[in-house]
Amino acid sequence: MLDAADRVTSASLALGKTPATAPMGDANTWIPHNIRMRDTWFPLAHSTGVRSKPVRRAVYSQPYYLWREDGKAIAAEFHPNERQSRPKSEFTFADGRYPVMEHYGFVWGWYGRPEAADPAHLPSLPFLPPKGGLPGYMIGTVRFDCAAPVSLENLIDLTHADFLHADVVGDEKSESEDIEVFFDTETVTMVRTCKAKSVAPVMKLFSGISAPVQDVRQVIRIYLRSHCAIAYGRFTPGDDVPLFHPCVPETRDRTRLDFAMNTSNASPLFRHIMPRASYKVSRQDSYMTSPQSPRYMVETTRRDLHSRFDAASQRYRVQMQTLAARQEAGDLDYKDNVSADCSDIIGLRKELFRY
Amino acid sequence: MSTDQAQAAVPSPWWAVARSEEVTGQKPLAVDIGGQAVVLWRDKQDVARALEDRCPHRRAPLSLGCVRDNGWIQCGYHGWSYDGETGRLKEIPNLKDQQKFPPLYRAIAFGVYETGGFVRVNLDAKTPPPRVSAKTYRLNGTAHIGVDHQNYLDALFDDPGLVVDIKGVRFTPYLMSELVVQDGMLTMERSCEWASKIWPAPFSSDFLLTILSRTHPETGETDLILRDSDLAELLRVHLSPVPAARGVTAVRWRAELGERSPPLPHSLSWGAEPFSARSSVDAAALRVLKPSVSLRSGELRAVLKSQTPAQVA
Repeated sequence: MLDAADRVTSASLALGKTPATAPMGDANTWIPHNIRMRDTWFPLAHSTGVRSKPVRRAVYSQPYYLWREDGKAIAAEFHPNERQSRPKSEFTFADGRYPVMEHYGFVWGWYGRPEAADPAHLPSLPFLPPKGGLPGYMIGTVRFDCAAPVSLENLIDLTHADFLHADVVGDEKSESEDIEVFFDTETVTMVRTCKAKSVAPVMKLFSGISAPVQDVRQVIRIYLRSHCAIAYGRFTPGDDVPLFHPCVPETRDRTRLDFAMNTSNASPLFRHIMPRASYKVSRQDSYMTSPQSPRYMVETTRRDLHSRFDAASQRYRVQMQTLAARQEAGDLDYKDNVSADCSDIIGLRKELFRY
Repeated sequence: MSTDQAQAAVPSPWWAVARSEEVTGQKPLAVDIGGQAVVLWRDKQDVARALEDRCPHRRAPLSLGCVRDNGWIQCGYHGWSYDGETGRLKEIPNLKDQQKFPPLYRAIAFGVYETGGFVRVNLDAKTPPPRVSAKTYRLNGTAHIGVDHQNYLDALFDDPGLVVDIKGVRFTPYLMSELVVQDGMLTMERSCEWASKIWPAPFSSDFLLTILSRTHPETGETDLILRDSDLAELLRVHLSPVPAARGVTAVRWRAELGERSPPLPHSLSWGAEPFSARSSVDAAALRVLKPSVSLRSGELRAVLKSQTPAQVA
């Protein structure tokens, strides 16, 4: 009853492929801080945050300076004013610059072999306008004092939300609850379907929902390499709330999250309020993940316990370790396409998000 | 019996990690014994409970959760609830009616024993509690000091004034009785004087006060009794230093005034409390403090460790 579901329900299998995975048992003893993904795009900043004056970011402590030259985004290993006192890393071209691109309203920096950078490896985020342009109130930055995988595990494990964020998203009471997990070598997707769930207080207050319960379909899709996630909630009655939730591992135990929540189709009040809820929710998460994260930094023989509701986070742990092990062995290739439109996988109501 | 066997037979110590007032059924209390995080609370029957402060599900501190009406402790992250007596998992919120869990599903439970106004925890739950009852002194307090447990005890032996304060009393370096083992406790008596006295201690023919101390050789729990020259008790203190995380020592204490009041103009009962444990130390004074009694305590502790529990008793 308590074993994590390990059903073969992946999109890869649907395509006739068999994803390589580590044994599920590895999920309970992992050290997320040891994972360092390569050859991937990280969303380093909102496009609006990069101007002519360099701003500093980091990926696994590797410095990234971002600025614009003639309106074009630049990502470099050294600050323009910096006297180069250390050798150039393997992550940049000869001129000390990283591959960089701009899409979905973000500046993306490549971490890995510069020659391997390819826009085809950019995660699909079909609910964001490709050229950016979301209003300022729909974007923001929060930080977590924890490892990026710990933060992503927190996201994909939705049962904590009913408990820790009950005052925002509602409690766990529902008529029925079903969790499905799909995965391939580059992604893990969780779909949670609840019938007659307690209405989220934030919707009661700001979206004018008077019904006592609502049907909820929540999707969390994680792009393993880039540590990017989509959190897409469809509430009936209620609104569609798609959130881009990237967890950039600035260091092994600190995470930067430049989020974008596209509430364009929600009612006017809710549209403005809901993105602000991220600040409250992130502090609630941080209250737990900050003390939790260091406890995963050291090796232990003690295995974490889990229930069937942890199927998604268990699978996430396994897939991350599998990919990390493959990279460690020198195989940096993409076996699955992360930029293929994931609208159908996440159940996006395309009519609401036409770009 | 070899020394190793004797050491293995020494029971795990009971640490007085909290005052009874600090442990409630409203909010869990986080304490630690060295590097071991412990969460304390009271269940529905008002019994103090202690578990490892780590949810076995996702390692979040249980002390960040809450105490439920039925006395279980509930993790604040995912709401897993545990029984305090056994540590067994009792409920997962989303599982609804399927609340049967294998025995493996449990948090580590520690032994708990409450007496004398202190909640004591033993990291080995199988260790039987000592059959002693102690009087609960009314005055009480808690201090955390940035000195590790061993150095704290050494300072207590060599110059108690660096780590505790008795109002209006000055500790002198002169001992009336050097450190010995009595009933398994490290026992000594130090001469004291009223702080208002101007005549320097080295030139005093007699000291009007002494402080008798009895210290547990492992935990450092100490009874202090301040007596006058008639051997009348002026103040009794029970001091409990516990090694906490990062080299900090958590000090809980309880005290009460004796039957006899000190003569005027001295008073232990006016204004501030007569006793306090210091929460900071004069580091410059500590650095140059000559080890004297502490050297002896080290020898005696080594001897006690090599003896069997029966011999100690």
